[in-house]
Amino acid sequence: MHTAVRRTLFASLSLLMTVGVARAHHSFAAEYDVRRPVTFSGRVTSVRWINPHVRFSLDVADPAGVVTNWQFEMGAVNGLLRRGWSRDLLKVGDTVTVDGYLAREVMHLANARVITLSNGRQMSGGTMPDPEK
Amino acid sequence: MHAVRGLPLATLVLLLPIPIAAQWLDYPAAGVPARADGSPDLTAQAPRASDGKPDFSGIWRPERNQRCPPDGCPDNQMSEQFLDFGWGMPSGLPYQPWAAALVKDRAARAGKEDPTSSCFPGGIVRLHTYPTMNKIVQTPSLIVILSERETTYRQIFLDGRPLPADPLPTWKGYSVGRWDGDTLVVESTGFRDEGIWLDRKGSPLTEAARIIERFRRVNVGRMEVQITVNDPKAYTAPFTVTLNEYLVTRGDLLDFICLEERAEIPGTNPR
Repeated sequence: MHTAVRRTLFASLSLLMTVGVARAHHSFAAEYDVRRPVTFSGRVTSVRWINPHVRFSLDVADPAGVVTNWQFEMGAVNGLLRRGWSRDLLKVGDTVTVDGYLAREVMHLANARVITLSNGRQMSGGTMPDPEK
Repeated sequence: MHAVRGLPLATLVLLLPIPIAAQWLDYPAAGVPARADGSPDLTAQAPRASDGKPDFSGIWRPERNQRCPPDGCPDNQMSEQFLDFGWGMPSGLPYQPWAAALVKDRAARAGKEDPTSSCFPGGIVRLHTYPTMNKIVQTPSLIVILSERETTYRQIFLDGRPLPADPLPTWKGYSVGRWDGDTLVVESTGFRDEGIWLDRKGSPLTEAARIIERFRRVNVGRMEVQITVNDPKAYTAPFTVTLNEYLVTRGDLLDFICLEERAEIPGTNPR
């Protein structure tokens, strides 16, 4: 298993909190914490092309080999298609790396900002943090 | 008889190869004049419909004037007015005290209760600021605005009918339009008292509201929409915001059923 949690162990620990409610087409700031950037690598276990957010999940192993399934959220289907995504770019079984931001309340959920595909190609997840106030 | 004769043709059509760009992501808009190098001439004179009126037909998107984070502008930049409809006004929107308190509370929670987050419509003001596309279909007596995000329609009647006297409040209200020279003037009333936000920070709209939109197609590529909101219940004075919208020269509306995630992912059922 060559998947790895890079700099996020603190995250999984601190996320052993309440399981919150992810809302539909929400404000970034309401759901994700821009102060908690994370990077995960793992094997894709599901991909769902649904609105208003495309979702996928990864099996991510920590250094001790404990595997956790993480959920990731991208932008809406139409926005992703318009910026060059297609359904076959991300498939179950692929090994990918995701840079994103942790959810504020929901366990094992992150926003996917950049996805590095198995061939090294980097794709935007089609979401953005709210601007600094 | 016609139906029988039509069958082989229909079968033939079905057997034709399906184009790769099945969703018309890059399909060029009709009627856009081209420069010598083939690129769309967006500053050319605005087109006119067969009745001589300015033609607003086409797909439009809001201006992307949002400030960018320090590491650069990402690809789904929005409009500042989406976040704060009073952006650019020296004192912001002229809230009544109760509305100011409400907005402060909603903004403090990062707009978490935004009805559009629960897949409700955004109302006619946010139709102009939500960072997705709208398609305008224009006839001499009716203009229809198709919203990609909401998968809804808005009707603007140009057939001379009056606004309803005592309308049942709705998300989009009731809209009638008339021409003032080359400007389309649309007046709307009959909005719901709750659930319509003007922006993500939560500026309210009430049943008392009357909205005037003045649509002007500046050239092929740009439309200016001047929106005047007169809602004495929520605001101390009428206010006017002018927005730019830009023609989408390639592509088309795509399916967007906001409830898919809520139906499929446990725990996403809001409230």
